[in-house]
Amino acid sequence: MTKQTILIVDDDEDICLAIKALLESKDYVVETASTKEEGLERLVGVKPDLAILDVMMASWQDGFELSRQIKKDPELKDIPILMLTGVKNKTGFEFKSAAGDEEWLPVESFLDKPVEPEVLLAEVEKLLQK
Amino acid sequence: MEPLPQDVRLVKRAFWLIRLRWVAIAGLCVTTFIADRIFSIGLPVMPIYIIAGCLALYNIIVLLLLRRSKKNHFKHGMPRLTVKKIIHFQMSADLLILTVLFHFSGGVENPFIVYYVFHMIIASILLSEWESYLQATFASSLLLLLALLEYRGIIEHHCLKPFVVFEQYNHALFVFGTVTVVASALYLVVFMASSISTRLRNQEQGYWEANQLLAQKDRIKDEYVERVTHDIKGHLAAIKSSLDVVARGFAGSLKPQQQEFVDRAVDRTGVLATFVRQLLKLTQMRLSNRVENEEFSVDEVMKNAVEAAKVRAEDKGIRLESEIEGYSFKVVGDRLSVEEMITNLIYNAVKYTPAGGQVKVRALENSEHIIVSVKDTGIGIPSDELPRIFEEFYRASNARACEKDGTGLGLSIAKQIIESHGGQIRAESQLGEGTKVEFTLVKTCEGKN
Repeated sequence: MTKQTILIVDDDEDICLAIKALLESKDYVVETASTKEEGLERLVGVKPDLAILDVMMASWQDGFELSRQIKKDPELKDIPILMLTGVKNKTGFEFKSAAGDEEWLPVESFLDKPVEPEVLLAEVEKLLQK
Repeated sequence: MEPLPQDVRLVKRAFWLIRLRWVAIAGLCVTTFIADRIFSIGLPVMPIYIIAGCLALYNIIVLLLLRRSKKNHFKHGMPRLTVKKIIHFQMSADLLILTVLFHFSGGVENPFIVYYVFHMIIASILLSEWESYLQATFASSLLLLLALLEYRGIIEHHCLKPFVVFEQYNHALFVFGTVTVVASALYLVVFMASSISTRLRNQEQGYWEANQLLAQKDRIKDEYVERVTHDIKGHLAAIKSSLDVVARGFAGSLKPQQQEFVDRAVDRTGVLATFVRQLLKLTQMRLSNRVENEEFSVDEVMKNAVEAAKVRAEDKGIRLESEIEGYSFKVVGDRLSVEEMITNLIYNAVKYTPAGGQVKVRALENSEHIIVSVKDTGIGIPSDELPRIFEEFYRASNARACEKDGTGLGLSIAKQIIESHGGQIRAESQLGEGTKVEFTLVKTCEGKN
């Protein structure tokens, strides 16, 4: 069976590396990108099985915008998205209820940072099985 | 825009003027009755009672006008100009009616003409200095006109016999002397009362500005704390993510001593993360007055909170019970915050209750409120420290001694949440016996009975 590929888009290099190490220990192939633009480029190039996005990068809603771009692109729209964020309080939005709302926040799942390793692994597994 | 305090006060005083007028009408009727029936002073009582009646009618009309105007401008307060116009109209009308009353009760011979002074004091409190002088001029002119018309015999003079022994309304020196004395008194009163009220007004404006400045500085401080804690939170998330990979063995297994120290680092990062998260939440609540407006049931939220805390209580050998008494627990507000807050209150109770103890969560209702209490059989709070436990960063001495970890922010957050929902929170405690934290939430209209 071929290994599944996951792309992490987060401007925090340390978090990228930590999640990468975590996922690689479970035999996933992990690619990383640190900006919205780079993320889109890698998505097209790599066609991952799952994308993990940070909400707040250079601008506070880069992650939202990237997720909308992914879902608009016929080539990419089937890639499930897991969104990570520590900005729930900052924006005041209730992400959990909005996750899966195609119009508003077109992502499959949402987790608050910092996320427990076991929780993240379980969520990744769940999304990849779908 | 919030109405300025001086504008709010102006509206209040416009109503105050109406209440004063009721007193004046009652005083007029009683005085006339006594003068007529007891002292048999020859007053034309009928016109006076009719005037009193007209005054009452006019007072009702002004009251209705003012109420309607207040209702129309409910949100932003009444425009200053409208209130001022109403007050000016009232004061001028009052002076006119007072003068007509004096005409039916002896004109310049009536000693009550000093009562013009009260109008001047009221004008000085309500109006600006020059507006008060304008009222003094109007009052003096009315009095002079009345005296002149009676003196010349153009209008009839009503005699106050036997109160006045010698009729003097047609003696020039008495008539114009009296008018001059009264007029000068009116100007002097305006001068004195205006200078006092101007000084008070300025002082109050100063306090108001200082208060605004303090609120602004407090906001700047909160924004600063928010920015700093937000940045710290980002770094902490990175530290915790990196440590977790090592501590949970995802990057290979560790020697026992390495594991121990990494675990210690993970624990401390967790404590710091909790502290930062709570500080951020508290600061953000202080900065935004926004409260979610969803309707929810407190009993359901309470059940969730008890469910969430169950494992922690069982692990510690503590009996966690809940009791709900009532029919309607609907409130409007931020469901998630309230649920998180109740959960934290139960966690707190569990944390400070020794094994074998009991934590009881109860919800009651009365006609207006829902009352929720979390009662434990824990270590309690020393009575001299009880008043301070809702202060930010404050932890009771025995709490610090028995539990190293704790931010001292949990109860401040609870208080902030409850107060932003229009409720109240309080605590009672017996050292060594237990603590009860109780809060209220306002029921929705349909839930009130």
